[in-house]
Amino acid sequence: MFSKDRPLLWAFSFLALAVCAWVIWSDAHPAYSDYQAQFRALIEERFGPERALATPVGLRQVWVESAGRVDRCTSCHLGLTWEGLGDAPQPFASHPADYLETHPVEEFGCTACHGGQGFATRLPEAHGWVEHWGDPLLDSKLGQDYRMQDEWAFLEIKCNTCHRYQRQTEGAEHINRGKQLVRDKGCRACHVINKRGGSIGPDLTYVGDKPPENYDYSRLTTIPSFFSWQVAHLQKPKSYSPDTVMPDFGFNTEEARSIGLLLMSWRDLDLPLAMYPGGVIRDIPTEEELERERMMREGEGRFFVENTCFICHDVSSLGVESATKIGPDLALAVEDAPKRFGRTLESFLLNPTGTMQVVLSKQIELSRQERLEAVRLLEIAYEKYKAQQAQEQAAEN
Amino acid sequence: MPDTRAPKRRFTLRDLTWTWTPRSAREAGDAVVRNFYLHWFPSKVNKRSVAATYSFWLGTISAVLFLLLTLTGVVLMFLYVPSVERAYGSIKDLEYAVSFGAFLRAVHRIAAHLMVAVVFLHMVRVFLTSAYKNGVMANQNRPLNWYLGLVLLLLTLLLSFTGYLLPWDQLAYWAITVGTNIARAVPLVGEETRFLLLGGHEINQSTLIRFYVLHCVFLPLILTLIFIWHMWRIHKDGGLASHDQAALKAKAEPDEAASAKTYTLMGVSGGTTAAVQSALVQEDRHLVQSVPNLVVRLLAVGLLTLAVAGVLAVWLGAPLEEAANPEVTPNPAKAPWYFLWLQELVTITTVRIGGWTLNGALMGGVLIPGLLLLWAFLVPTLDRTGPATVAVWFHSRRRTANAVFLLICLALVVLTVVATFMRGPFWDFYWPWEQWPSHPSRF
Repeated sequence: MFSKDRPLLWAFSFLALAVCAWVIWSDAHPAYSDYQAQFRALIEERFGPERALATPVGLRQVWVESAGRVDRCTSCHLGLTWEGLGDAPQPFASHPADYLETHPVEEFGCTACHGGQGFATRLPEAHGWVEHWGDPLLDSKLGQDYRMQDEWAFLEIKCNTCHRYQRQTEGAEHINRGKQLVRDKGCRACHVINKRGGSIGPDLTYVGDKPPENYDYSRLTTIPSFFSWQVAHLQKPKSYSPDTVMPDFGFNTEEARSIGLLLMSWRDLDLPLAMYPGGVIRDIPTEEELERERMMREGEGRFFVENTCFICHDVSSLGVESATKIGPDLALAVEDAPKRFGRTLESFLLNPTGTMQVVLSKQIELSRQERLEAVRLLEIAYEKYKAQQAQEQAAEN
Repeated sequence: MPDTRAPKRRFTLRDLTWTWTPRSAREAGDAVVRNFYLHWFPSKVNKRSVAATYSFWLGTISAVLFLLLTLTGVVLMFLYVPSVERAYGSIKDLEYAVSFGAFLRAVHRIAAHLMVAVVFLHMVRVFLTSAYKNGVMANQNRPLNWYLGLVLLLLTLLLSFTGYLLPWDQLAYWAITVGTNIARAVPLVGEETRFLLLGGHEINQSTLIRFYVLHCVFLPLILTLIFIWHMWRIHKDGGLASHDQAALKAKAEPDEAASAKTYTLMGVSGGTTAAVQSALVQEDRHLVQSVPNLVVRLLAVGLLTLAVAGVLAVWLGAPLEEAANPEVTPNPAKAPWYFLWLQELVTITTVRIGGWTLNGALMGGVLIPGLLLLWAFLVPTLDRTGPATVAVWFHSRRRTANAVFLLICLALVVLTVVATFMRGPFWDFYWPWEQWPSHPSRF
């Protein structure tokens, strides 16, 4: 009964020993040690054995204490600060120098600008293209996958994490175009962006943090991702979100992608204030913008601003300007209503038909009193419009 | 004057490890009692109680796993930070930067899962051999040890559950959310119990520190104390139940020439009754010396357990999802696997017929498991088959009890397997070969 015990004891001992040996061996041979050996050879070949002695051995990391970030990328990316390795193969190439001057590695680390998983010390985890890591390395491969004209366009998302409150950022052309479009199309009329804006649409301040699971990808024909959905939705809002009141702005693909990149960059990543350019963490509007906003809010046409009519309609003669211009200019409403609907403006506003019937029953609630007030104001607007026309004519003559 | 000079011997390699060898069975027994490391073993044990086919050594394996968990756990305590800001990062550091960190964590995790499974199997073994009953020796109280065993099983589950939260990733956060939500359905005290456990209404820093202290101090301490009690009871009950069966058999056999009569230490210390004593005397041929037979097997089982845990740890690693995020619920959100049968039970007992709803959380989450636990505690009282069935696998007189028990076990296993492998998003059913809807990504 006991004759096999000792051989088994030996066998199990060796098994346990083998496990220990394997664990010790693999711990002594991390993935980065191969790269470090290759790097040493490269330095020896290019700069001689003396300088090769200065190449690092063992785990390397950048600890950005203020951001609570640790980036171990430098364990393999060994040539970052070496001069004369610009043409070296990755992971040994030196970093384009001008960026490092303004963004020192010790203060910013790597992942704040590039994405990826700073904790990790082997591939593919370190580049973050694995399950359960939401902030992957935004390299040119991603641009190729999406067939972007500029393969590095996605990297601008990372720039804008900190540069989000700037109107223009040097080198971030796609983001700059996106920001320009957001201003031109008046997205803030409906959306809160950087904590300012209207409440018709969802708050976009941190839209980039929304879980991708919240969106329906069944109608997408491209890569089923949050980014693809945003781009597709910007181009044809109603197709991807049937109940939306967001207008189709007729963006072309490049424009939609620029805004898509901008949306993806709006995340709450809890970075230290020092990382934001100038320590500014809010939008600073220009004098002109402030004046226009004040005019809209306090001017003659404020009724149409307060009741959000201005989202679709200009009331040009009262200084109300719509960014979207979906509907006709209400300065002409008095003569427009009979032409379009065969009724007076008053009769139409009290019993609207078509689109306005939907809008006035769902989005904008106005009492009978308020509707009559609107008619009164629009009559004034029409008078003003006619007066302005006459003045212009006189000026021409 | 007797000759006190030691006999001259040649020095052998064996002398490096063994400075003394007993010259008789009695000396061997003495040596066991005198040696600190061996003193908790009896000097002799019944052959069947060390046979792999009787106990499968499941209790020993559980104990070895607990030892392994304690050792790895204490090392992990040097590296883990129980704060919501730093817990996740400290686990990432373990995975990537600490020497042997990933292995330590993987061993700790796999040993915990194995311990839950092995402790459960140990209970299954004890039930099927009805080893929870008193046999023929005096002063036995085996039912007490069954109760202690059930408490140890519950403590093992709690230990595993509290440890589950510590990595502070999505897996941890939502498994504990699902797990503690089931507790809510307990009438009257459910909400309060959950509040006490979480230190509030939701899982946050106060929950993490509570789970941490419970996991590292309270529960292991209580488990150790009850484990010692469990072991001590085995001694007082005269060893494993197979000793009783051997005694019964020996009683039935005809007496042989009483040439080798020896009182076993165990028989003396157990204070066996006179009626049984004659049988015990005859029992010698069923006994073997604990040293080396029991000790060698113990070492072998221990080493095999360590090696298996090590191999599984290297092979499987330990998962770590994204940092805990209360805003994003994974779909599906699952409890730890050993509670998944509960989650599945909650789902299938939630029945809506017209306007009438059967509350699954109460039915499947509280009443059914509560009744199962109650039944488990009543098992020794309900068994009326007498000492004859003790330590016999699948005794014919216990056919019904065994069948019912095995059916319950089967149901638990099936529910667990279904919930683990066949429940996809929205808890929809998927066959293992069916693809779940793909998980969208940011890019």
